[in-house]
Amino acid sequence: MTDARFPVEVMRGVPVVSGPEEIDITNADGLRVAMLEAIAHGPGTFVMDLTRTQFCDTAGLHALVAARKRAQAEGGEMLLVMPGAAVLRIFAITGLDQVFPSFASLEEALARVPGNG
Amino acid sequence: MTARADPASVEARLRAIQSITDAALSGLDDHEFLAELLDRTRDILQADTAAVLLLDFSSGQLIATAAAGLEEEVRQGVRIPVGRGFAGRIAAEHKPVILDHIDHTTVLNPILWAKGIRSMMGVPMVAGGRVIGVFHVGSLSPRQFTRQDVELLQLAADRAAAAVQSMMARADRSAVESLQRSLVPSALPVIAGTDMAARYVPGSGVVGGDWYDVFTLPSGELGVVMGDVAGSGLPAAVVMGRMRSTLRAYALETSDPAEVLRRLDRKMQHFEPDAMATVLYAVIDPALDQMNVCLAGHFPPVIAQPGKPAELAPIAAGLMIGVALATSRQVTTVPIPPGALLCFFTDGLIERPGQLIDDGLERLRRAVTAEHPEVACAEVMGALVGNEPARDDIALLMIRRQPGRADGGVRPAPPLAQEEVDADD
Repeated sequence: MTDARFPVEVMRGVPVVSGPEEIDITNADGLRVAMLEAIAHGPGTFVMDLTRTQFCDTAGLHALVAARKRAQAEGGEMLLVMPGAAVLRIFAITGLDQVFPSFASLEEALARVPGNG
Repeated sequence: MTARADPASVEARLRAIQSITDAALSGLDDHEFLAELLDRTRDILQADTAAVLLLDFSSGQLIATAAAGLEEEVRQGVRIPVGRGFAGRIAAEHKPVILDHIDHTTVLNPILWAKGIRSMMGVPMVAGGRVIGVFHVGSLSPRQFTRQDVELLQLAADRAAAAVQSMMARADRSAVESLQRSLVPSALPVIAGTDMAARYVPGSGVVGGDWYDVFTLPSGELGVVMGDVAGSGLPAAVVMGRMRSTLRAYALETSDPAEVLRRLDRKMQHFEPDAMATVLYAVIDPALDQMNVCLAGHFPPVIAQPGKPAELAPIAAGLMIGVALATSRQVTTVPIPPGALLCFFTDGLIERPGQLIDDGLERLRRAVTAEHPEVACAEVMGALVGNEPARDDIALLMIRRQPGRADGGVRPAPPLAQEEVDADD
């Protein structure tokens, strides 16, 4: 089931999924599988790193929101790393910036996880 | 002499394979094809019954779809959960199963043992790497099905799987297209003091969940909706249809667009927790002077006035439908001067991979002018789409307040019934 395009790396005990440059209908399902795997790895909390991501369509947002709901159902949280203006803009338009905790760097996101601070 | 060494049998087997893979079969329509394939398979294997059960992915059940010598299975709408009984086991294990003992311990469907079937053999139907159904044959007299029998049945099942898949893809596509046609009518209501035009272009290969809607309210106000359901194909189109009806129902209850979207969001999160959409809902006052707009994750409209550069209307952003219950939804009031044109759109119009959203918005802003909406629509489609096939759906709706109305554009009371082609409400 694991999609080779989106490996899940564990950094300081926290699963980290790296987003591709473009998230759209052609790869959103693969990304969704990787995020579910990251959630299954631990107590639900994981980092979704969108540092490289420049484009995310509705299918991509759908995958991110579904993963966030699953993480919360498992008692965890999805921590987004979003330094780029392009994705921040999409999140501002869709209002998702109001509900997703997001961080400017992977370092900041990892520091937020209990026990890593 | 064993059956395998008998030349007559080898010849018969070749003829059997030919009969199943016969090109003439392809000339039949989908239902004739399945019926003919079942008959031929039954003959070749000298079986008494043959049946195809298709997997319904939403319920995880196999549903009897076509049968020969076992028609009651289809007529009674037999359903078998994956993993249980004979067919359920084949679907769960992706492997052929042979039964020489038929009763309630081995078979879930009472029709099979009531019929007096003594031996059964079934194989999975696989398309695109996943099981889409089960093909089985049965014998009324005790019989040992052989490996060759299983191979022949698998050959028939592979043909059936390919046919069923193309049949379902076609059926989905035509269902989505009829849904789109009935829910996103190309004829817009005629509202005195306004001109309107719209475009809807399905994405390449997949029709999605974009829609627009324009309706008058009992108060004389005009409701304008632009929406985009995440996903594609029939599931997205069905959700779109439900959202469109729901929004219309709440629009009759209150003319506060934020309240309409709040209720829509609550309804969707309760009944369709996996659905997500962006929606714009605007209520234009009867005099056409201004509109109250609420955004749920959707782009604001572009507004163009005669002789001025168009601009993206400054409207507060709001959370998409289906994410979390937003604590508050804001309404922004936008003035509509005489002659102003409002351009509502979905992301398919401006989003291109490898291009920033703001670049797309800027291209749109420059292309919109306060002309007649038909002209403006044609210009915008020409400038932003050109001759490129769209990957995503594109919906575009333009409403212009007619210029030069010194009285402020007060129009007569709206008609009691709105004439529109409507399937659902």
